[in-house]
Amino acid sequence: MARIGVYVCHCGLNIAGVVDVTKVAEYAKTLPDVVTAKHYTYMCSEPGQRLIQDDIKADKLDRIVIATCSPRMHEETFRKAVAEAGLNPYLTEIVNLREHVSWAHTHEPEKATEKAKALVRMGVARARLLEPLQKRKVSVEKSVLILGGGIAGIQSSLDLANAGFKVYLVEKAPSIGGRMAQLDKTFPTLDCSACILTPKMVDVAKHKNITLMTNAEVTGVEGFVGNYNVTILKRPRYVDAKKCVGCEACTKVCPVKVPDKFNENLTERRAVYVYSAHAVPKIAIINPENCLRLKTKKDVCGKCQTVCEPKAINFEQQPESVQVKVGGIIAAVGSEVFDATRMAELGYGRFKNVISNMEFERISDASGPTKGKILTPKDGKTPKTIAFIQCVGSRDKRFHEYCCRVGCMVTLKQAILAREKIHEPVRIFICYIDMRAFGKGYDEFYRRARDMDIDFIAGIPSEIHGTPDGSLHFDVYDKGTNKLLEIHPDMIVLGTGLVPNKDLERISSLFHAARSADGFLLEAHPKLRPLESAVAGVFLAGACQGPKDIPDTVAQASGAAAKAIDLLSSGEIELEPLKAVVDKDLCSGCRICESICPFVAIEMKTEKVKGEERLRADVIEVVCQGCGACSSACPTGAIKIQQYNNKQVVTQVQAALNETCVEGGK
Amino acid sequence: MSLVDLMSMAKPNLETRDRVLSRLKTKELVNCYQCIKCTSGCTALKLLELKPHEIMKLVNLGFVDELPTSDIIWTCATCLKCVQRCPQKASPYHVIIALRNLAVEKEAKVPETYLKIVSQILETGLAEPPQKIVTKKMETVDRECLQLPKIKAPKESFQTAFMKAMEER
Amino acid sequence: MSLRETLPKLDVELVDLTESFCCGDPVKSVNEFTANFLAARILALANQTGLENLLVPCNRCHFTISEAQDTMKNNPKTAQKIIDLLKEEGLQYSSNIKIWHTIDFLHDSVGLTKIRKAVKKPLKGLKVATHIGCQIIRYSDLGRVDDAENPRKLDELLTTLGVESVDYPEKLDCCGAALMRSHIDSALSLAGSKLKAVQKLGVGGMVVSCPDCQLMFDARQKDAGTTVGTKLNVPVVYFTQLLGLALGIDEKKLGLQLNQSPAEELLAKIQS
Repeated sequence: MARIGVYVCHCGLNIAGVVDVTKVAEYAKTLPDVVTAKHYTYMCSEPGQRLIQDDIKADKLDRIVIATCSPRMHEETFRKAVAEAGLNPYLTEIVNLREHVSWAHTHEPEKATEKAKALVRMGVARARLLEPLQKRKVSVEKSVLILGGGIAGIQSSLDLANAGFKVYLVEKAPSIGGRMAQLDKTFPTLDCSACILTPKMVDVAKHKNITLMTNAEVTGVEGFVGNYNVTILKRPRYVDAKKCVGCEACTKVCPVKVPDKFNENLTERRAVYVYSAHAVPKIAIINPENCLRLKTKKDVCGKCQTVCEPKAINFEQQPESVQVKVGGIIAAVGSEVFDATRMAELGYGRFKNVISNMEFERISDASGPTKGKILTPKDGKTPKTIAFIQCVGSRDKRFHEYCCRVGCMVTLKQAILAREKIHEPVRIFICYIDMRAFGKGYDEFYRRARDMDIDFIAGIPSEIHGTPDGSLHFDVYDKGTNKLLEIHPDMIVLGTGLVPNKDLERISSLFHAARSADGFLLEAHPKLRPLESAVAGVFLAGACQGPKDIPDTVAQASGAAAKAIDLLSSGEIELEPLKAVVDKDLCSGCRICESICPFVAIEMKTEKVKGEERLRADVIEVVCQGCGACSSACPTGAIKIQQYNNKQVVTQVQAALNETCVEGGK
Repeated sequence: MSLVDLMSMAKPNLETRDRVLSRLKTKELVNCYQCIKCTSGCTALKLLELKPHEIMKLVNLGFVDELPTSDIIWTCATCLKCVQRCPQKASPYHVIIALRNLAVEKEAKVPETYLKIVSQILETGLAEPPQKIVTKKMETVDRECLQLPKIKAPKESFQTAFMKAMEER
Repeated sequence: MSLRETLPKLDVELVDLTESFCCGDPVKSVNEFTANFLAARILALANQTGLENLLVPCNRCHFTISEAQDTMKNNPKTAQKIIDLLKEEGLQYSSNIKIWHTIDFLHDSVGLTKIRKAVKKPLKGLKVATHIGCQIIRYSDLGRVDDAENPRKLDELLTTLGVESVDYPEKLDCCGAALMRSHIDSALSLAGSKLKAVQKLGVGGMVVSCPDCQLMFDARQKDAGTTVGTKLNVPVVYFTQLLGLALGIDEKKLGLQLNQSPAEELLAKIQS
């Protein structure tokens, strides 16, 4: 016979404003095995918790039912309180009278009260069958894998490395630095991007706790939180990293010219090249798809090899696969820029002087195609009129519904840079829908732009026209003046938004991390858990979780590192016991559970059962999320979720349907 | 009374607004965030001052009464650029058609030609009856001499159905 | 006329609907339900022939009938009312009819290869400006005949005839036909502005794919010119008229004598 205590929470007026909590408590007292039934304004408060603890001792209670808000809010709180009173915390049952009753049926108080009584009845029925469970401890690796060497990955790496953790930083490109390395200046301070980034890049390369792998990709992730086995493919550079000094003699003799992605295809690079002026590591790399010798697999060219003094060129270099063990993973793979050819009416791709904001950034950068002079791509002239058009590919049901968050600030920055760099008179127009300058110093930055006689047009054009002689013009209606304006710009900069990285599909499937509807990686909770995915041990940093600027990226990166430290610093983690368990006697080895498990938490092991060697299902506790799919699929009832076995569930259903049916301890 | 336009003392008519909304295929009219793209590219703006974004905002706020009686809703050239390019798929064109239907219901200022066409269709089945034309070389030509198929007059069953359809609101 | 002459030469049999009726386009502004009814009626008449492909040579008709088909599919209440009305005339609506326009039918169904092979007199030396119009390229969500921002089908069809299509900024501008019902001057101004731009290109003529656009650019060219203060002299033809010439069909059969614009000048530009 159980001794059950029922506690009905008012939750202020949240529950009591709709449900008659007194009646519910009175009703609970009439249920068999219920020794005490009380109600109180705030059960989660100190006095509320003490009430339960005192009753446990005084009435020798061995099951606690708390009818309150969602278990997601305070289940842990109540379990801790119960444990402190000497009772196993897993003998606590939470009944949700808020989200499931008072908030859902606000306008029907009588019916709500009846429902509350029914839910309590169900909770009591289940409470009788709860079993005492223990948490288990598992040791973890004090090392972290970071995917992506942009500012997010760099920041996380340094934070973790400085905290004494081993870091493996894997970057797909030949150099770290990411998008920030492509920027000229950063808003709202107009800091030189390279100047604030490169010191951190060098720190990463030099740090004894960081193993930097560039031109590499993660190809496989196995294991579970605290104990991941990661396979990394190091693609060949065809250049010996230990010998190359970054002198670039090879690039000068290479005959192959291809568009340079770092400069947004505004210039060309060679088949053998150094990624950028500030590349870390500053080692040459040969692209096998461009190189004549590697592409044709014939003994041709090889000019780079001839001129290389340190003899660093090695056409025979092979890809290398390495395996590392890590305790946690941080995804920091960044995002891409919207391809404006998709918005065909703006003429991107058709007219050379219509460029994306990333292309403008490269033009503005001193290490870029025009050495920092603002010149039109088509004819290399200084523009007399520049027009910026906002929200290209963003806030648009045809492409991406979200706001790209950085577009307004990027355009303000670029407009200000244009004004500062062009010494002749130049008219600068910004065609916008809304001006979003939300951050610290951001609206002041907007005012700075207005101070510089930059013209803001409240309205965006529908189409851009180009005449055969190469000049551009468009019409735009300005809300402010109510005039239809015809503008003839020499250069149009499109505020192209940030979009999810093409690789995200592959990357998210590597760790079974979900993506949100907008295509970015999904955080565990948008407000309370924005730094981690729903998969234990996988954290998120930077634009791969959603478009964001540098301050937010750095903050999130440091936060993700802190989360990883939090998880791994003690060297072990505690596991919730609400997992699947296999009754080996009942398991027939049919493997249905293995195939159904969405978390790959079940493996088949050959075990000796009753003298026979048989295949049996075995649950990897650390990975198991307790979803119950295996339990419902199992034909013999061998695999069950702790605290959610058939009897425990069915008794609740019976209690719900039948007022007078009482199992009572049976 | 929560809203009044002090320039004209007009008050919103939410009932009529709902009627306009109910005529539309989808409810995206309420998603319009005044990007002005429709007006920037409107074929009828330069010559006839049609500002689709203004019509969208007036309907959204409920100032619908002034629209069916205005001339402006008849200036749309139906080029469909606004439907094609609206980032919220709010389609000013469809809103204008709904307002035109409302104008006919209210017997407001409907351009004569449209009403003539309706009676023409009722009588002949066609918007305009077949005509004789005069070529550049001053020859008179009709369907028969061009050996084109004969056009029959519509049956009574068509006319009944047509009249019934016109009763739909 | 040119449609009836050319398509059989490409092994296409054209079957007239039993009755000639308005698609409902002008009625849309008066009563959208009636417009949908009239358009659905056309589809019901098509169903009567037992054939599954309806060829609609006019942009506005194509748009109106396509929208009606979409309404019949997605608005069950309206669809039922229309089906009931059609029943009263003994007509049955069918959702299986594929709605074609001259341009996508020739480009996608007949195919460029077949047309190129059938050409007897390539119209070499002829440069034109195309005007594909508005209602067959917009709005994309409805599923239209060609791409809304970069329509190429008409231009590609012209290359099979040996004709070069010239790009120009005003290419997607509207002819203004819809405004002829209420604002005639503005309508003519729109047509006139476009013709003026085409005239400046110095091409052999303008090719249209819609009889309503042809009405504006061809039949009303003189008035359009007056409205924009320019003497306009641009030959304007419907695509199948050029197709017919390339297939070796006599110009009288293609109705070129009926064009009000100087179509004979276009003929002169073609090297024989």
